[in-house]
Amino acid sequence: MRPRLTKAILMIPVLLYTAFSAGPYVWTAMMSLRTTDEIYRSHYGLPIPPHFWKFYTAWTEFGYATYFKNSAIVTVSAVALITVVGAMAGYGFARRRFAFRLREPLFLLLFLSIMFPPQIMILSLFQILITYGLFNTLAGLILVYVATELPVTIYLLRAFFAQIPVELEEAARIDGCTDWSMFWRVMFPIARPAVATTMILNFIYFWNEFLYAVVFITQQEIRTLPLAIQFLVSDQYFDIGMLATGLMIATLPVLLMYLFMSEWFVKGMTAGAVKG
Amino acid sequence: MPIDRANSARLVAPPRAGRPWGSIVLFLGPALCFYFAFIIYPVLVTFYNSLHTLRMDLGMVYQYVGLQHFREILLEDEVFWKSARNAMTWAVVAPCLDIPLALILAFTLHSKIPFARFFRTVWFTPLLMSYPVVGVIWLWVYNYDWGMANLTLRFLGFGDYAQAWLASPTTALPALILVTTWMFAGFNMVVMLAAIHAIPMEYIEAARVDGAGPWHRLFHIMIPLLRPTIANLIILDVIGKMKQFALVWVMTRGGPMWGTETVATYVIKRAFEWKTLDLGYPSAIAVLWFVIIFGLSIGLTRFLQRREALEF
Repeated sequence: MRPRLTKAILMIPVLLYTAFSAGPYVWTAMMSLRTTDEIYRSHYGLPIPPHFWKFYTAWTEFGYATYFKNSAIVTVSAVALITVVGAMAGYGFARRRFAFRLREPLFLLLFLSIMFPPQIMILSLFQILITYGLFNTLAGLILVYVATELPVTIYLLRAFFAQIPVELEEAARIDGCTDWSMFWRVMFPIARPAVATTMILNFIYFWNEFLYAVVFITQQEIRTLPLAIQFLVSDQYFDIGMLATGLMIATLPVLLMYLFMSEWFVKGMTAGAVKG
Repeated sequence: MPIDRANSARLVAPPRAGRPWGSIVLFLGPALCFYFAFIIYPVLVTFYNSLHTLRMDLGMVYQYVGLQHFREILLEDEVFWKSARNAMTWAVVAPCLDIPLALILAFTLHSKIPFARFFRTVWFTPLLMSYPVVGVIWLWVYNYDWGMANLTLRFLGFGDYAQAWLASPTTALPALILVTTWMFAGFNMVVMLAAIHAIPMEYIEAARVDGAGPWHRLFHIMIPLLRPTIANLIILDVIGKMKQFALVWVMTRGGPMWGTETVATYVIKRAFEWKTLDLGYPSAIAVLWFVIIFGLSIGLTRFLQRREALEF
């Protein structure tokens, strides 16, 4: 009897915190299905009837199709690029076979730069991107994203590659494989769980990134979703309903994936913290 | 045994002398190119810029000024000191909220309440949204007339305390700190929960057999064992808050009256919004803050780890 009572009492703070944690987003989700007029009549009304057409309107008339496309281009290309480059470097740093004198100092530098605040690079990156014609281009943003997340990615993947026994690759090498084909055929497939973890971590980071986008993108047509939302807040401050729909468009891809692979997401997002 | 050693020696050092430079360049080259072009080189340029004025309206001509920017920042720039104080406040207060809250939540979930997985999934969700999304949602939550914050206060009978939270310099910063706690408590909780699950059950069982009650087990066995994880999370939280930019940019733009200005937002404002149009001065602020963050993270790591060593 007593443990049940304890558990019932424990449920009170748990439910309160859940209300605090989920409340704001659930409220936004409800507003996304209501018109601004309905919202101004009652801010906490239920979406009855639900206006799903608002998603279509936001998509076609308020530019979310463009912003979504930009975010998708940036995120997918940056994740693809960083996964390939990061996995190769993680492997190169992990194996004694590839050791050279400056490798360990280089890795230490790479590791320390995980802590760098973006401000220490952002102003000169602005200069550099202008010099090379990459300012105000999605390509420039992609290159910067890849570079800024490389240290964490390499750090996590190196730790994983270092655990894989060398004998596995020795066997492949005896079969006549070069380092290159051995890596892609043997090592990379083995490292899939770690690679998936870094892919999720980087996917969320790129999809949500705001600071670099604010400084490096000034043209409306190439704004990413986080950047677009910042401008839409001031442009349509009073059109709460449509803004709420936009917020849902910006978050739903990530949240739907999270719903189906929450274990992977939790693992990916906390990977850096556990090893730190 | 000698045969084994001979074998492993052959595995470590391939019979062909020299290193496989081709492969080394192939595997490490691309990453190092990215790293040096977009991180190391820009960092060095920022250090160089901090000793110059660099007017964007005058064709970016470098003019050497030595340490003048640093002198001005430290001795005359009130906005810098305000933003530094705000960022420091954030970095100190946020972990004091986030970490104990996360510990409580983690232990609650650990005590096998029903639907634990559901709660964990929900509490973690805020971290998956971008700062602009979170910022807009919380602008609504803090709305004076119909926001959730004032609505809850009025509902509980504290209607007198209802106010425009983001409009006053005294309440705006605490209001923003609460938002980051909303985002990060779940994250810290998940990391802590994983660490709790990793504690060997024998320790707790042994303590129970020795007659230690639940509180004793919690404070004298489990929390000391979680110390490395807690230390890690504190460092991450402090450093993360020192860099805070996006939430401020979306919700208050540093206002009212510099009440929520952080060093990160001030750097961007000085570079791109003020009429000074000089990249040198904000670079000097960035360099100063970089040194402080770097020193702080090394110092914190040392301090928290030493205390940990003393405890055991």
